[in-house]
Amino acid sequence: MSMDRRSFIKTNAVAAAAATAGVTIPGVAMAKDGMDKDNIRWDKAACRFCGTGCSVLVGTKEGRVVATQGDPDAPVNKGLNCIKGYFLSKIMYGKDRLTQPLLRKKNGKYDKEGEFTPVSWDEAFDTMAEKWKDALKKDPTHVGMFGSGQWTLWEGYASSKLMKAGFRSNNLDPNARHCMASAVGAFMRGFGIDEPMGCYDDLEHADVFVLWGANMAEMHPILWSRLTDTRLTKKDCEVHVLSTYEHRSFELADNGMVFEPQTDLAIANYIANYIIQNKAYNKEFVDAHCNFKKTPLDIGYGLRPEHPLEKAKTGKGGKLSGITFEEYAKSVEPYTLAHASKLSGVPKKKLERLAKVYADPSKKVSSYWTMGMNQHTRGVWMNGLVYNIHLLMGKISEPGNSPFSLTGQPSACGTAREVGTFAHRLPADLVVKKKPHRDFAEQVWKLPEGTIPAKPGYHAVKQNRMLKDGKLNAYWVMCNNNAQAAANFNEETYPGYRNPANFITVSDPYPTVSAMAADLILPTAMWIEKEGAYGNAERRTQFWRQQVQAPGESKSDMWQLMEFAKRFQIEEVWPAELLAKKPEYAGQSLYQVLYENGQVNAYPVEEVKDSEGNVYDNDESKHFGYYVQKGMFEEYRMFNSADNIIKKGHEMAPFQKYHEARGMRWPVIDGKETLWRFREGYDPHVKKGAGVQFYGKPDGKANIITAPYEPAAESPDKEFDMWLSTGRVLEHWHSGSMTRRVPELYKAVPDAVIYMHPKDAKKRKLRRGKFAKVISRRGEIMARVETKGRNKPPEGLIFVPWFDAGRLINKVTLDATDPLSKETDYKKCAVKVVKA
Amino acid sequence: MNICSVIVHAKPERAAKVQSTIEEIEGAEVHGGADQGKLIVTVENEDDSVMADTITSFTRIEGVINTSMIYHHYEELKAETGAVE
Repeated sequence: MSMDRRSFIKTNAVAAAAATAGVTIPGVAMAKDGMDKDNIRWDKAACRFCGTGCSVLVGTKEGRVVATQGDPDAPVNKGLNCIKGYFLSKIMYGKDRLTQPLLRKKNGKYDKEGEFTPVSWDEAFDTMAEKWKDALKKDPTHVGMFGSGQWTLWEGYASSKLMKAGFRSNNLDPNARHCMASAVGAFMRGFGIDEPMGCYDDLEHADVFVLWGANMAEMHPILWSRLTDTRLTKKDCEVHVLSTYEHRSFELADNGMVFEPQTDLAIANYIANYIIQNKAYNKEFVDAHCNFKKTPLDIGYGLRPEHPLEKAKTGKGGKLSGITFEEYAKSVEPYTLAHASKLSGVPKKKLERLAKVYADPSKKVSSYWTMGMNQHTRGVWMNGLVYNIHLLMGKISEPGNSPFSLTGQPSACGTAREVGTFAHRLPADLVVKKKPHRDFAEQVWKLPEGTIPAKPGYHAVKQNRMLKDGKLNAYWVMCNNNAQAAANFNEETYPGYRNPANFITVSDPYPTVSAMAADLILPTAMWIEKEGAYGNAERRTQFWRQQVQAPGESKSDMWQLMEFAKRFQIEEVWPAELLAKKPEYAGQSLYQVLYENGQVNAYPVEEVKDSEGNVYDNDESKHFGYYVQKGMFEEYRMFNSADNIIKKGHEMAPFQKYHEARGMRWPVIDGKETLWRFREGYDPHVKKGAGVQFYGKPDGKANIITAPYEPAAESPDKEFDMWLSTGRVLEHWHSGSMTRRVPELYKAVPDAVIYMHPKDAKKRKLRRGKFAKVISRRGEIMARVETKGRNKPPEGLIFVPWFDAGRLINKVTLDATDPLSKETDYKKCAVKVVKA
Repeated sequence: MNICSVIVHAKPERAAKVQSTIEEIEGAEVHGGADQGKLIVTVENEDDSVMADTITSFTRIEGVINTSMIYHHYEELKAETGAVE
């Protein structure tokens, strides 16, 4: 049969959709076989966008990506893609893609006030290295890096090693601080080991879904479609949605609840109280597997120490102390239905319906949350309160019973959390403040004792404050757009970046807000322009091969980190007494000590091939002369899979296995992934006969931690009379650096708008589609009013998405953080809205 | 050439109505699936932004629960006229 190419491709498109939907369409054959004949090379890759971790088939022809398809063999997305994933390949072909290093220059030399001028990589790195050496002379704490949950696993690993062991500065923090640091804090406090116990399979197993501050319909559309399928096909399945405004997920909700910001704390405590009052809790489970704890109260809001709210606080930190079950029960007693309903504004009937499904032992409940719960000045507490509910009922660590913290970024788990790019962390859940952990890391890395500093470095928000204060002077931002993402742009971020004492480098494929605020911009190879790996929210590690070449002189973050390390002699970064412990390193470069250490460079360059014999490039291996990604990964495995590891439970398979699989969920033991952790029969780490064992804690028990409702850092008052909540919309991803360059997506939602209740608009004489000003104590922005959009706030609250670089809502937001997790609360501050 | 396929997941009782609404949209074509509530739709349009508007408009049709992208092909036109075996 012969047909023209257009009908041929269309037929294939229909076939792919029909196969995925399980719909039969007469006369339409399977897609992939047909496409192979079109000289398109197909290979899998993990999606570049959110934390769901969908797999995409990427079709390449003549060195350019021409087609993409949801990967039918992927367990996560089963052939589906969302609108963002769909336009993935175009993100590499934006018209303003950066292709050479740009340095601010005046009269032929570097000048902070100069114009961006194209320079060679040598000039770029020479200038940058000089600034870093100046800063290092003051103290290693004067250098820092802001990394990313979008880095590939090995790029995060390489940066952690470079900063913490090489430059001996713990001032490395990822943008994941903004998105799930609170989740991490709660995992460590409650379970002693990071990341969810369940997995996406719960989406088919649960009877009831509860969304706590997650708009899955827009933010995790593929998971939402799996949830939708279950809701529509399973008898008596229910969906409960909690949020501070009505959004698209409410369309499927059987019980939609709009609550006053911050009162989720009271709602969760009410549910725990309901369970106890009705004696519904699983006594056997609680007795065998839980401890009860309390945490210090009135701990402030993570603002600068001189802020009145910080001066007023009476408590500090998060040190837990043991209490009895009775004491715990008493602590939640004030949270009656009447009290919770009054505080939250949610009708009693709705709250009670929610409490009942948790308390019903015959219903399997999965709870999901993202930024609504994490970006919260009591985020760690709030995450913990939801675990409390699941633990009281024993509804945890088994199919369908799953408290599940979703992530926003493709490798927030894999890169930011697992390889240790947080200011307090080392790979595989180890932390810098514990001597045995530092000793272990130094031993794996073949470094002298005392190389890694014990004091945690500056976290994300503190980095910007320290830049402004001139205490952090040489700073490298990689693979994210933090100038746009961080709160309080006017008072902290911008003055920090432009402080004359500082030299700011931004590595990015595009001229983002951050890049434009920098002194040096490094053009970066992205996504499938390099071999990569991501770890998604369900502990799944996924690899991809390099599919295409990066444009111009763009180089991957990995190349940049390793090449930059070549510019430092070990004597320039380490004190003599440290070097004296390893005299064989004298005269070597940082690159040699860290990466040519017999481990990272242990694997020779090999031809990268798929099962069909297609051959792929690997630019890093070619440049450095060894299989860089494999060496990094295998060295990283010494932290999570070797015989002498400190913390079990993060085991991973050998490198090559991941190129063959559609990802695997750790711990991977004897080649087998783990779907539900801590339960016998699913998790091989659980002792035989134990049933359930929370082995992250020495006694194998999880913590139920009581914490009360405390008010937000800033609430509406007479002058600033509305709540401002910020967030994302489906078509754009985070700050929009990539998605705003895809014409389709840009057209779909070109500018951020102010979502507002029609009555609030009327009261302020504002009209739909007309400009208004959003003003806080810190700054203001102008945007159009939307009263009929997909987001429907209640009276007294506005919602503004933050993807729009032309309307930086973070001029308005407050940099209040959770004092425990240091994560910013982007969901609550007080504003007024007036006619523009 | 700019072609994509999409699954439009509709409430089963509204799928037929959703189908006829989609069929009125320029560049969109329904190939089947209404009886299962999963419409197999292709969209063709040389103009990127029209394409985007079309796809996003699906989610606003009453009775539509979700729109999933499946396949996308975009290529310069030069090879389009050639035959494929």
